[in-house]
Amino acid sequence: MAFEFPKSLDDLPVSKVKWVGKPVNRVEDPQLVTGKTEFIDNVTLPGMLHCAILHSPHAHARIKSIDMSRAAALPGVVTTLTGEDAERWTRPMYTTPQGWGGYVLATDRVRFVGEPVAAVAATSRYIAEDALELIDVEYEPIDPIVDAFAAAQPDSPKVFEDHDDNIMYQRIFTWGEVEEAFQKADHVYKESFRWNRVGANPLETFGIISEWDIVEDSLTCRGSFQTPSFMAMGRAATFRLPSNKVRFIAQPHGGSFGGKGGGRGTDITLMLSRKAGGRPVKWIEDRMEYLSSGGSQAWDRHYDVSIAVKDDGTVTALRVKLLDDMGATAEGFGATGAVKPMASFTGCYAIPAAEYDLTLVATNKLPVSPYRGMGPPPHNFVLEQMMDIAARDLDLDPAEIRRRNFIPADQFPYIIASGNEYDSGEYEAALDKVLEMAGYEDLRREQEEARAEGRLVGIGVVSTIEPGVFDWNAYTVIGTAGIGIPEGVTVAIDTMGKITARVGFALEGQGQYTVITQLLAEYFGTELEDVRVVHVDNLSAPPNFGPGGSRLGVAITGAVLGAAQRLTEKLTKVAAKMFEVQPEDIELLDGMLRVKKVPESQLSVRNVAAIMLNRSDMLPPDVDPSPQATFAWTAPDRVEPDEQGRVKSYLTAANACHLVMVEIDPGTGKVEILKYYIADDCGTRLNPANVEGMIQGALAQGVGAALLEEYVYDDDGQLLTASFMDYLLPTIHEVPFPEKAALVTPSPFTPLGAKGAGESAIHTTPAAIMCAINDALLPLGVRAKEVPASPNRLWKLIQGASDQ
Amino acid sequence: MKPVSFEYFAPTSVADAVSLLQEHGPEAKLLAGGQSLVPLLNMRLARPTAVIDVNRVEGLDYVREDGDALAIGAMTHQRTVERSELVQRVNPLLHAATRLIGHPQIRNRGTVGGSIAHADPAAEYPAVALALDAEMRIVGPNAERLVPAADFFVTYLTTALEPTEMLTEVRVPALPQGTGWSIQEMTRRHGDFALAGAAVTLTMDGGACSDARIVLFGVGATPLRVQQAEERLVGERVDATLMSEVGREIKTSIDEPLADIHATSEYRRNLAGVLTERALVEALERAA
Repeated sequence: MAFEFPKSLDDLPVSKVKWVGKPVNRVEDPQLVTGKTEFIDNVTLPGMLHCAILHSPHAHARIKSIDMSRAAALPGVVTTLTGEDAERWTRPMYTTPQGWGGYVLATDRVRFVGEPVAAVAATSRYIAEDALELIDVEYEPIDPIVDAFAAAQPDSPKVFEDHDDNIMYQRIFTWGEVEEAFQKADHVYKESFRWNRVGANPLETFGIISEWDIVEDSLTCRGSFQTPSFMAMGRAATFRLPSNKVRFIAQPHGGSFGGKGGGRGTDITLMLSRKAGGRPVKWIEDRMEYLSSGGSQAWDRHYDVSIAVKDDGTVTALRVKLLDDMGATAEGFGATGAVKPMASFTGCYAIPAAEYDLTLVATNKLPVSPYRGMGPPPHNFVLEQMMDIAARDLDLDPAEIRRRNFIPADQFPYIIASGNEYDSGEYEAALDKVLEMAGYEDLRREQEEARAEGRLVGIGVVSTIEPGVFDWNAYTVIGTAGIGIPEGVTVAIDTMGKITARVGFALEGQGQYTVITQLLAEYFGTELEDVRVVHVDNLSAPPNFGPGGSRLGVAITGAVLGAAQRLTEKLTKVAAKMFEVQPEDIELLDGMLRVKKVPESQLSVRNVAAIMLNRSDMLPPDVDPSPQATFAWTAPDRVEPDEQGRVKSYLTAANACHLVMVEIDPGTGKVEILKYYIADDCGTRLNPANVEGMIQGALAQGVGAALLEEYVYDDDGQLLTASFMDYLLPTIHEVPFPEKAALVTPSPFTPLGAKGAGESAIHTTPAAIMCAINDALLPLGVRAKEVPASPNRLWKLIQGASDQ
Repeated sequence: MKPVSFEYFAPTSVADAVSLLQEHGPEAKLLAGGQSLVPLLNMRLARPTAVIDVNRVEGLDYVREDGDALAIGAMTHQRTVERSELVQRVNPLLHAATRLIGHPQIRNRGTVGGSIAHADPAAEYPAVALALDAEMRIVGPNAERLVPAADFFVTYLTTALEPTEMLTEVRVPALPQGTGWSIQEMTRRHGDFALAGAAVTLTMDGGACSDARIVLFGVGATPLRVQQAEERLVGERVDATLMSEVGREIKTSIDEPLADIHATSEYRRNLAGVLTERALVEALERAA
């Protein structure tokens, strides 16, 4: 039967909403703050060994020989592993685009500094690391390919000999009459931008304990997996094993942000376990490994952008040419980050025509991984700079040019030029809210006064879209079909009336267990304490994918409401029999199943569930004695892309408007954030405290990207930022705590009207800060076009201006 | 990120610590707050055969007034210095420098002696030690000696300490009443090592400068005293023009600083000048 999901909180079966939409305390927190949460490194299994991995010191080299004999002879070392084992036992790594990868341990050649070359399993990590020093590898260095532009030349040396060149993917997407729009434009603005490599840095790196049962040839992995079911499928394919022989148990973990790929570490520990007769093998990726060879790096981009604009500021077309440096392989799903901008290509604006000239190039650097936001944050940075460039030339206020180009509130649902559909939005209202909070006119006056004193003060006003809830069709243009995208839950009521929700994803920090608890307590009229959420392994869980793509909050809400509805249908049948009425005469309200016309004839959900479990004589013939139900949710109406890659890929479009005021110290080039305001609209807020936490955390990552974070490689392909001494994450001192306002434009497409909100402010903050910096630099006639806007870079720009 | 195997000792007296240093020679390392040594051990960049943990050595944790100076035990935590009213009163420059070291968590563990003996050229303590004419009390196998800061910092991460010697006390002369002071530094983030910094003292007498000290940090292999710039100030009526000139001269006169990913040599030189000027301005405001 077709499901009718509650469209808003008012549709829930309660007379007054008690839990959903409230900033209730997170159910995850007591364990976290008392140190009881069981992270993977807290787990020790009997007979467990410890793995250490030898990483390539060269960016590009032939491996002439590997001699493991001295390492193997070290007391405490149980077994060792090289690329030969990987060739014998595994398929080459799955990549997107396909065919751009090797084995999990290098075979004939290394292609980036940090690439795993060999591994050992020993009785302690100390011994394992000692053993690494006894591995003799003979390398023959090859000139590394480091520069993306050089790598993209047809005559460049190659990262993969079996390819014609280093171009992993190249395509021009054209949407609408782009050429014509540029010809007819009153103004055309062009600029180039550079977004340097940044990436995910969760508190906890990747960790795993792998066991290979050599009797039944089955695998069990415990670890900090973001997407355990997806990982399990990958292992089945890699090792050519039946998928039901691969069991993945996700431990609670300290964040991911896309950085917990871990495929190599997983396969390496599995093979070590196999060679060690099935003993469990643990590998905890250390921070230096994470930074140089893990899921830490993303978005290494060179942009050429142009926009066509009318005299009145109307933008009629957008052209974006992107050269995206993928690093050595396509193993990490980093390429999807170049495709996701298509889900919000023209931002908040009604720009009718657009073109995306996309080139993905291989170089001898760490392969890029996903990172919170998955690609739009750099795209938004360039789009928003172009809006400001146009505004200045046309003598329009930056807020005004945006207002003139916003998709009007009465045009939703709205299909953007690149094909995605935006569900709803009130972009002008969000802008007005921010301007009002900030006292925009006064701020501009303050800025004028500061400028008169020679101070470099600037204001950025930026509106962006956060695409939420991707589906199977989102990345097919790059060869990644969505696998296992539905999100499921099993909801069970036990004989004592307590509710348990079983899900397939582990605690990661976002607070989804709290949302599930709120939803079920609300639906069945219980206290929060009556609900418990547990995560189960991939073989026990309903279909699931886990967090990613601002998706899980909406998806799990759909799953929970679906399961609750299914369970209610069962309970209703039992109650109908008890009251000797038809099921359609029964309704659920405030935790009671009651006869609609005789409300005093009622039974609690808890009682009906107990009857089902304990009194088979009272069951209707078509009801099994099981007060539980499973539901897997997926978005409706998701079809294949058209010939230009246009597709309804992301179900929701959250909107945020940020206003930031900065001051640049001309003597040092250092940026200080003076003021920050946010208006955020992600539809119905299931737990406003969760949303606020997401905004604040993503804002921190945005500040990092704009001002601090950068993975730097030298000309030899050596990583110069392999520790937190040099890769600079923002601290609490660098991150503002903005004044925030919530607008609520519910999604017409999702249960309860919630929109994906997990990736949040990283979409907006870098763009807003860079707009503010360029506003501050305006009197000097120079423009910052590279992130991060480091003090050295800004100082040099300012020097250049004063030299003129 | 696991260290190479080493022998661990935890002596309880300076004499025992020194004899362990004698026994294990240059392959031994003293462990104080561990804020630099432990990461170096874990990255296997430092591979000592013996680690001598001096946290249990008694009698090295104190801040006291000793004549015209502050005597600070080498194992005194930076947080203790930061919270000491005595330090704040007798030597506000030392106090201000302490607050620029890392974060409270780091200062809880980091020690005065550890920072000075480690001699990172971008660290605050070596710079103010030089600016304030501090003396290091050093205990060796046979004798004890006092080494002035000017002779203590030899080069990058290298001091006058012999492998068999241990730093036990830092003596910092009181800042004379009426002397203006300032410490300015540029960091990418709050609490980072400085890309460059300047520690300054300025004594004014009847409208003219009678004494000046300018020490740069983060721009050379050791903290760097810029006597040429000091001489430009002494005897002069210090005004904005002069301070700006001094800053400008520093930009061009200092040896080319090292470049790294956060700062080019040119940028570091600029910072040295800009921060010196700012430090002078602030010191002048504070000078009686």
